Amino acid sequence: MADGTARSLTVDAGVDRLAEVRAFVRAAARALGASDDSVVDLVQAVDEAATNVIVHGYAGQPGAIDVTTERHGRYVVVTLSDECPPFDPTAVPEPDLSRLERWRPGGKGIHLIRAATDRLRYRPRGTRGNVLTMIRTLTAREGEEA
Amino acid sequence: MSLEIAIDRVVGGAESPTAVVGLVGELDAANYLEVIDAGRRLYEDGIRRLVLDLSGLTFIASSGLVALHSLILIMAGEAPPDPENGWGAFHTLAHDVSGGPQTAVQLCGIGPAVDRVLVRTGMGRLFLVHPDRAAALAAG
Repeated sequence: MADGTARSLTVDAGVDRLAEVRAFVRAAARALGASDDSVVDLVQAVDEAATNVIVHGYAGQPGAIDVTTERHGRYVVVTLSDECPPFDPTAVPEPDLSRLERWRPGGKGIHLIRAATDRLRYRPRGTRGNVLTMIRTLTAREGEEA
Repeated sequence: MSLEIAIDRVVGGAESPTAVVGLVGELDAANYLEVIDAGRRLYEDGIRRLVLDLSGLTFIASSGLVALHSLILIMAGEAPPDPENGWGAFHTLAHDVSGGPQTAVQLCGIGPAVDRVLVRTGMGRLFLVHPDRAAALAAG
């Protein structure tokens, strides 16, 4: 169950709106009591997810992105919704970072979303659209001491 | 917050003409091409080594990592993929780091948010990292 008031932001799908999305998430997470580490992680995750939606989902076509933040117990929950063709980022395989001899610049966005969040959930939004939910503890990561 | 690209000093002799480039603000998908373009112009001006001062950089997205990697390619005399042709070209790139970090592009002044991204993506292995400009320039 959500604790307190949810905040929402809707922006046009353009990379020139990413700074506004980050500022919204930063302020909302702080207002919910998130630690500095948690705020940094949430801003990173939402920026990467929104960039993917803008660049790959809408791909230059007009559209909108909805961002909602709320607190559930000791978690901040950020939901990103769009009206793009279905795409499930949780189904994308993890890059193999153990191969020390080669480094690849591609595919790091979804990896950063995973690394910055404790839980990541996806569901389609009706017949056209996606809802990505990014969950991060308010303070210490899961498995860490508070 | 936007990104400011400040080219503050050009140093070094004919063997290693060096530019110190400060990135101030947030590096994301809206402005990463500006960083690549700045690198191209510096290379055209004869610069072959960059020190990137990231002490003023408060955020870096994965697109910013693409920009940093492109600078490595540019300083090596290679052409990075043209983003106008789509991001797929970046996904086919692979950088050989078996010989350790390259030295043409070095970093300094990295804050915790940027460091976290470099560590999580493994990109830190590509760079020599220094605490500040003086240390980076002294390292040669």
